Amino acid sequence: MSKQEFLKQFDQLTALFPVQGSARSVIHNGLDFPTTRDEYWKYTRVTPLVSTEYAQNEAKIDSIDAMRIPDLEGHYIVFVNGVFAEDLSDADLPKGMQITPMQKADGLRKSHMLEHLDQHIDSKHHAFHAFNTSYFQDGAFITVEKGVEVEKPVVILNISAGAKQANNLRNLILVGENAKADFITQYEGVDNEGALSNVVTEMVIAQGGNASLYLLQDEGANTTHINATQVAQDRNSVSKVVTITRSGKLVRNNLNFTVNGEGCESNMYGIYFGSGKQHIDNHTYVDHLVPHCNSNELYKGVMADRSTGVFNGKIMVHRDAQQTNAFQSNQNILLSDTATINTKPELEIYADDVKCSHGCTIGQLDEEAMFYLQSRGLGKEAATKLLVQAFAGEVTEQIDIEPLRNFVDDFIHQKFEDLNA
Amino acid sequence: MSDFLRIKNLRASIEGNQILKGIDLEVKPGEVHAIMGPNGSGKSTLSSVLAGREEYEAEADEVTFLGKALLELDPEERSREGLFLAFQYPVEIPGVSNINFLKAAINAKRQHQGLEDISAKDFMAMVKEKQALVELKQSLANRSVNEGFSGGEKKRNEIFQMAMLEPKFGILDETDSGLDIDALKIVANGVNKLKTGDNAFLVITHYQRLLNYIVPDFVHVLYNGRIVKSGDKSLALELEERGYDWIINETETA
Repeated sequence: MSKQEFLKQFDQLTALFPVQGSARSVIHNGLDFPTTRDEYWKYTRVTPLVSTEYAQNEAKIDSIDAMRIPDLEGHYIVFVNGVFAEDLSDADLPKGMQITPMQKADGLRKSHMLEHLDQHIDSKHHAFHAFNTSYFQDGAFITVEKGVEVEKPVVILNISAGAKQANNLRNLILVGENAKADFITQYEGVDNEGALSNVVTEMVIAQGGNASLYLLQDEGANTTHINATQVAQDRNSVSKVVTITRSGKLVRNNLNFTVNGEGCESNMYGIYFGSGKQHIDNHTYVDHLVPHCNSNELYKGVMADRSTGVFNGKIMVHRDAQQTNAFQSNQNILLSDTATINTKPELEIYADDVKCSHGCTIGQLDEEAMFYLQSRGLGKEAATKLLVQAFAGEVTEQIDIEPLRNFVDDFIHQKFEDLNA
Repeated sequence: MSDFLRIKNLRASIEGNQILKGIDLEVKPGEVHAIMGPNGSGKSTLSSVLAGREEYEAEADEVTFLGKALLELDPEERSREGLFLAFQYPVEIPGVSNINFLKAAINAKRQHQGLEDISAKDFMAMVKEKQALVELKQSLANRSVNEGFSGGEKKRNEIFQMAMLEPKFGILDETDSGLDIDALKIVANGVNKLKTGDNAFLVITHYQRLLNYIVPDFVHVLYNGRIVKSGDKSLALELEERGYDWIINETETA
């Protein structure tokens, strides 16, 4: 199937905003989907995914109870196959925070949205971004006003429903000056064998703002999830993005930070646990443009069976970004002889007064520690589980929302049960 | 109870090198045995093989522990049957809490015995009691296993774990190495308090010093993979005075 044939199946979708028209012309003319000949897609082959026929299913979801994170009190905003599902969402929002389905944005609200929509992510040079911008049908537009601290997290729940469903999912989050909020983007699937989700999230944090974004990826065994998250930070703001990959046959995450103002802190954490033939790819990019900023990055992976992991983290420190502190680490454990990890930390530094470090490790579980635990009576499985949980602990402890942290611990636990089943 | 631990002609090798060349040893409940010997004689190999370290190829005419063929058991099964090895070099395990790990270990053993999991209340009471035994600071019990512990604290933690697991047969692998005299006394005192008529200990040491505090019923000298001399505690004192050379000479001219 050619690119034009592939795109043709989406062309009947309405272009809601002017940016969508221009993106369509970009993707139709010249900008191609990446292949493994592209350095940043070397280990992740997407060609079969963009030469496949997909479906646009009509789906009715009656309840999201089974998908809720246990004990989590949050503001749920739900999308089914990329379109806002009002009946499944909570209406009760705190003062100073607004959530608008993009389709429904009008008047000043719409112009506010259009000031930012697609202005932070680069849709001109990245085909999946352009693909998303071209065809998304709705999305979450969230604003937190100046000085407002939102107590409960906002959960943007996206449900992919029906076989071969293709969704372009879009989020735009604007966190005002000195405002504080937590967001969970959760991706679930229902009867969605062979589905594709292509997500673009833009999160803009104004001066002194503080925002955390959690990505919880669990759309099902035979699905593809491609995610681009762009964080743009102004002076003295703090951001944290935690990417948690649970299921998915192929998952590719592109996480970019643009640090525009001095005194910013950018934190990124990831935990992935691959089994079966899962392919999980995390690419991160931090662009330090100005002085006096810190970035911290820690990604941890556990790969079992024949799964494959990819990590590529790039930190760019521009000439003016003096006194940058940038730390990056990717650590992996291989639980089987047939699991693979390709990891590549990259630092590019043009300033001369900076503190940067990067490193990656790939290993098996510490045999001495295994024997130690076994010699105290723990079985091999129990010992492995304890060591993997300890390994993941450095990332999970960064999850400030306790029910979410428990959920991730349970997921690691569950993954073991499944491995040994 | 005559069949507590019986070892006949135990041989062990690692990467093709034979380290143990035929060990015979019989231990009865209530006894303390000391294994001494120069460096490289096979002392730590013996403890590793008994605890079930996989790197060693071990074979024997017989190794029976409480009626079970020990060499056929996995390390965790040996532990659940009542064997405990206090490591010469206790392993640091960041991220695994000492307390949670111990609780899991105790419950693994209880499940093996067909018992219910220990209650939180009983467990905490036990922790408190056993901590006092080895004068282990409470803060250490709550930390990650051995992480950032001093040498002495690690060894005390080993004895603390031994006290918690109440083994039938405790092996102390050079527990005295790297300990100052005060720590040595505390460790030895802990072991002495754990002694009952029903359990036994194998104390592996390079020096006689520890045996001033844990008084053995039998002393065996291991040399070149074999027990070349056995005696009572006076043998240890003789070794302290005369060194190992006279035994080595005796062995090699024999």
